[in-house]
Amino acid sequence: MRLSATPGWVCNDCRRSFASSVRAQQQQQPASSQHVRQDEKTTHFGFDTVAENLKASRVAAVFSSVASNYDTMNDLMSLGIHRLWKDHFVRSLNPGIRPTASAQPQGQKILDIAGGTGDIAFRMLDHATNINRDTQTSVIVSDINPEMLGEGRKRFSTSPYQAAGRVSFMEANAEQLDQVESSSIDLYTVAFGIRNFTHKQKALEEAFRVLKPGGVFACLEFAPNLNNLLMNAVYKRWSFGAIPLIGQIVAADRDSYQYLVESIEKFPSQQEFAGMIRQAGFLLPGQGPEDEGVKAGWEDLTMGIAAIHKGVKPA
Amino acid sequence: MSLTPLALRNVLRTPASLRPLLLQSPRACYHSYEHTQPPPYRDADAAILSSALTYVPAQGFTQEALTLGAKDAGYLDISTNLFPKGAFELVKYHLVTQRLGLKDRIQFPDEKMGVGRKVRSLVLERLRANADTGVVNRWQEALALMSLAENIPTSLRELSALSDEIWFLAGDVSVDTSWYTKRASLSGIYAATEIYQTTDQSTDFKDTEQFLDRRLEELRVMGGAVGNTLEWVGFQGGALVNLMRSKGVRI
Repeated sequence: MRLSATPGWVCNDCRRSFASSVRAQQQQQPASSQHVRQDEKTTHFGFDTVAENLKASRVAAVFSSVASNYDTMNDLMSLGIHRLWKDHFVRSLNPGIRPTASAQPQGQKILDIAGGTGDIAFRMLDHATNINRDTQTSVIVSDINPEMLGEGRKRFSTSPYQAAGRVSFMEANAEQLDQVESSSIDLYTVAFGIRNFTHKQKALEEAFRVLKPGGVFACLEFAPNLNNLLMNAVYKRWSFGAIPLIGQIVAADRDSYQYLVESIEKFPSQQEFAGMIRQAGFLLPGQGPEDEGVKAGWEDLTMGIAAIHKGVKPA
Repeated sequence: MSLTPLALRNVLRTPASLRPLLLQSPRACYHSYEHTQPPPYRDADAAILSSALTYVPAQGFTQEALTLGAKDAGYLDISTNLFPKGAFELVKYHLVTQRLGLKDRIQFPDEKMGVGRKVRSLVLERLRANADTGVVNRWQEALALMSLAENIPTSLRELSALSDEIWFLAGDVSVDTSWYTKRASLSGIYAATEIYQTTDQSTDFKDTEQFLDRRLEELRVMGGAVGNTLEWVGFQGGALVNLMRSKGVRI
C-alpha cells in the first residue's frame, strides 16, 4: 500500500502488491502528488512523513482494508486483552443514569468517535441498560471511514438498540464535527482512534465544543512506551516483529499493521497527551491535594501498553 | 518567585509545552507564615464534593451521594468521573477540610493552658466536627473505605497530618525524637477515639470524652514507664561496661 517508493500495482482482490517494471494504470494516484512540496506542512504517517492533507486519505485506505477482519486481528494482536481494556474503559465511565422515584429519566447522549465497528458503543448501551437500568441513553457512532461504519451497522442490525432508535451512525471527521451541536453531548469517547488523527489538538478542541458543561472526554489509546524497561524491550519485539507478520498471514496486509505499530510509536507519551487535554480546557481527574501538574491525569493498563485519559469540561 | 536548583532542573526537564502548567501553583513542602497555601481542591472538585457531603447522612459515603452532589453543583451525572476513587474521595475531602478548618474552630486565648490540655481540647473539637457535619452515623462506612488496601497509604497520611496539626496548634516546640513519638502516639489515640465515637450514644459524647481521658492517662503513665526503663537499662549497660574495664577487658 506504500504508493511512494516501489513502482508496482496492487491487486484489488487479495490486496497484495506486486513489483513491476511497467507502471500499471491501476495505480490510484498520479506520481506528481506523491512529492511533498517545499512549503507544504507535513505530518507523520507511521514512520513516513507525508503532507498533512494526504494523511487522512492514507488512514482511510488502511482502515478500509482492515475493516472486515478488524475484530479477529485485534484478538490476535493483543491476545484477547483488548476486550478486557474495553470492558474496564466502559465500566470505569459508568454510563447511564440510575432512575429515581422523583426524576424523569432523560438518558445520556454519548458520542463515540472513530468507533466504526461499534465495540465501545455496544458496551456502553449494555452497561447503561443492564447495570443502570437506563433505557433512554443513546449513542452516536461516528467514523471517518464508511467501511468501518458498515461493520458497525451490521453488528447493530440484530440488536434491540437499533429497533429502539438508541444508536445512530454518522460519517464525520473528528476535527470538524459540524453535524453535532455545541454543548449537546454528555460523554465523548474515542477508543484506539485518536492516534490516527492528523490534528489531535483540533480534535480535542472539537470535543470541548460539543460536550455539555460537566461532560466527560474519555480516550483509550496505546502508549508509546511501557514503564518497565525490560518489559518495554519485550513489547517492542512483539510489536514490530509479530504484529506485521500476523497481519501478513491472517489478513494478507502487512503494510496496514506496520502502519499500526509505527503510529503507536509516534503517539505522545501519557504525560504529554494529558497536557494536551488540559490545554484544550478540560479538567483532569485525580488531581488531589498533593498532586501537581499532570502527574495523575491518566490510568495505565497492562503495565502501560494502553492508557485511559479522561477530562471533564468545567461547568 | 525564586526557583531552587532542584525545581529549576525539574522545569527544564519537562517539555516546553507543559512548563506553564508546572509553574502554575508553587507549592512549598513546609508550612510558611509568610505565604498562604493555595486551596487544596480545585473549585470544581470542591463544589461537587461539598454538596455531595450534604447528602452523606442520607445516602452514606457512596457513589449515589457523589452523583447527587454533582447534579446539585450544576454538573452532570457523568461528571463524577472527576473522582476515580469514587466514594473514598468524599471521605478524603471530609478529612482534609476538617483538618484545615481545625484552626478556625478553636482558638486558645488563655496562654496558661498546658500543652496536654490543649491537645485534649483540639481532639475533642475535631471529633465534634464529625458530629456537626452529620457524618458520624456514617463514619463506619468511611472507616471501611479507608481500610481498603489501595486507600491505606492515603488514610495513614491524613491521620499523621491531623496528628501533626493538633500538636502544632497546641504549641508543641519539641525538636528531638519526642516530636515523632508524640505524633505517633496521638495518631493511635485519635484513631481509637474516633472509632469509639461511632458507637457512642451518650448525650454530647460524654463517654467519648472519658474514653479519651483514659487513653491520655495511659499515655502519660506508659510514657513515664518507658522513659524510666530506658534510663535503668542505660545505667545497667554503663555499669557493665565499667565492670569489664575494671577486669582488664579493653572496651
